Amino acid sequence: MAKAKLSMRERYRLLTRDLDWEPTYVDPKKVYPYTRYEGIKIHDWDAWDDPFRLTIDSYCKYQAEKDKKLYAVIDGFAQGQGHLSLTDARYVNSLKLFLQGVTPLEYQAHRHFGYLARHLDGPGARFAALCQSIDELRHTQTEIHTISQYNKYYGGLHNWSRMHDRVWYLSVPKSFFDDGLSAGPFEFLTAISFSFEYFLTNLLFVPFMSGASFNGDLATMTFGFSAQSDESRHMTLGLEVLKFMLEQDEDNVPIIQDWVDKWFWRGYRLLGLVAAMMDYMLPRKIMSWKEAFELYLEQQMLEGLFPDLEYYGIRPPRHVEQAITEKEYMSHQVYWILYQFSFAASFNTTVPTDEELDWMSGAYPETFDRFYRPLWERARRLEEEGNRFFFRGLPMLCQTCQIPMGFSEPGDPSTLSIRTSQFRGERFNFCSDGCKWIFDREPEKYVQAWLPVHQIYQGNCGGTTIPEVLNWYGIQDGVDNGEYLTSPDKANWDKWHTGAVVGGA
Amino acid sequence: MTVKALYDYNYPSKDRPELFGDDMLVHVMWANNMMFCSAACFRAPKAMSFADFKSQMVDPWAASDPDYDPSSAREWQVNGEPFGADSDVSLADTGVGHKGLFSFRT
Repeated sequence: MAKAKLSMRERYRLLTRDLDWEPTYVDPKKVYPYTRYEGIKIHDWDAWDDPFRLTIDSYCKYQAEKDKKLYAVIDGFAQGQGHLSLTDARYVNSLKLFLQGVTPLEYQAHRHFGYLARHLDGPGARFAALCQSIDELRHTQTEIHTISQYNKYYGGLHNWSRMHDRVWYLSVPKSFFDDGLSAGPFEFLTAISFSFEYFLTNLLFVPFMSGASFNGDLATMTFGFSAQSDESRHMTLGLEVLKFMLEQDEDNVPIIQDWVDKWFWRGYRLLGLVAAMMDYMLPRKIMSWKEAFELYLEQQMLEGLFPDLEYYGIRPPRHVEQAITEKEYMSHQVYWILYQFSFAASFNTTVPTDEELDWMSGAYPETFDRFYRPLWERARRLEEEGNRFFFRGLPMLCQTCQIPMGFSEPGDPSTLSIRTSQFRGERFNFCSDGCKWIFDREPEKYVQAWLPVHQIYQGNCGGTTIPEVLNWYGIQDGVDNGEYLTSPDKANWDKWHTGAVVGGA
Repeated sequence: MTVKALYDYNYPSKDRPELFGDDMLVHVMWANNMMFCSAACFRAPKAMSFADFKSQMVDPWAASDPDYDPSSAREWQVNGEPFGADSDVSLADTGVGHKGLFSFRT
């Protein structure tokens, strides 16, 4: 008689715990050299409790089923010219930002979770890192395949990997992730698994995927569904990993608090790009950045999560009160930056329509009509006079987040915020108290920042003129960049929707 | 606090002054004009006079705003301190320093 099949729980135990062994002829500290120097103390790796208990065979089966569904939808999308059903070609700009800014991070996450799958001492934690590593590679691939559909018809999507390494606004996500990759394994887990995948994930993922759904982008919406169960696994892992570290030793608490503080502000500044995307790049809005911030950060995290973490001695992140103040205007400050520097971006920007301006007045009653509507109305007049407003020069950058220093003093949108520190006799500039605080903790790290503006001035970016730098970026001048109303994307979209017979390309 | 590492962690700054030779990086902010989302960053010779810096670098940038009148720039500051905007003084002698900040109002 055949032996009864093992339960999934039992198979998981055998896979993770039973296949592990204690090294005897090599010092465990040499086998796992990276898990002590950060000061985090782990006494019992077996206390790690993976909430999902996946095995390799069940993992592969689930993922294969999801891939099959996704690729069927992508095929249908391609055959049915699905891109023509978008609300407007302007929407594709949010996909450009996603492919250039987020997809390369998925790949870096794949690599680093692979590293953790080797270097964490505990087998349960290693296996969880392995699954996440494979997830991240799958997300990289499925995002590329999904968004490639648009590369056939729209500008700005052809060179995202090179752009991620070179272009000024993409140094924001790149430097964020590099900061995590170059930290120790426990800081990386706090930065990416907890802060990014748990604390801030809904503010990143939901806006892009809901934005896709609201704007007729069936392909990206399906990708979002396909990644959703992985993301919820990553979220659970993020919280699990934090609690595991906190429960292992009281000495871990102040170290982790510091990381929670740092990675909240790092992640929040990165989300500035998402805020601008939500309020300005989606022709059909989901909700405002302010509403999303209130729902996903203030209600779910500050009121939901942090009261639980108080039990471990963890308080809400430092500088969060400034982020709350900024919800009234942050998206406008970031898109205003993107608007006037889009001559050097691989997407298009434009003045919002009248309907959108009115929507913003309603969504931001305290700030929009007072500070930002006059700017947009003036920008529109200049555009109509044939004098589209661009910042004719290069901006001052924050040494930490690398965003042009367009953020204001908290609560005062008309005054730019500039903070400085001196280190080894050299001056460094910051956009905010949060970014200065992060620098001052580890100045030796951030003095090495590759700031795009300073690199251009050092002659390291293909030349000193705009055409030379654009060429080095891989941005086709007049095709991928600049004003939307005069872009090839807009011209093609209008041609495809006139109802006239269009032959050939 | 310093970086925790398994080895001696000590690297030079990526924008240290010597990498710019006889030049320096200088920022300029038009303080009361929200059209400019941020201050601008310039690479300029340390020996350049402030007058030349203004006419050759600041004015063309500020003219991104068609209403800019070069004679209207006033209330200059250097790193937050009042500054006479003396024409002949070299950038190095203004005390602005590498990656420092001038600001003005109109």
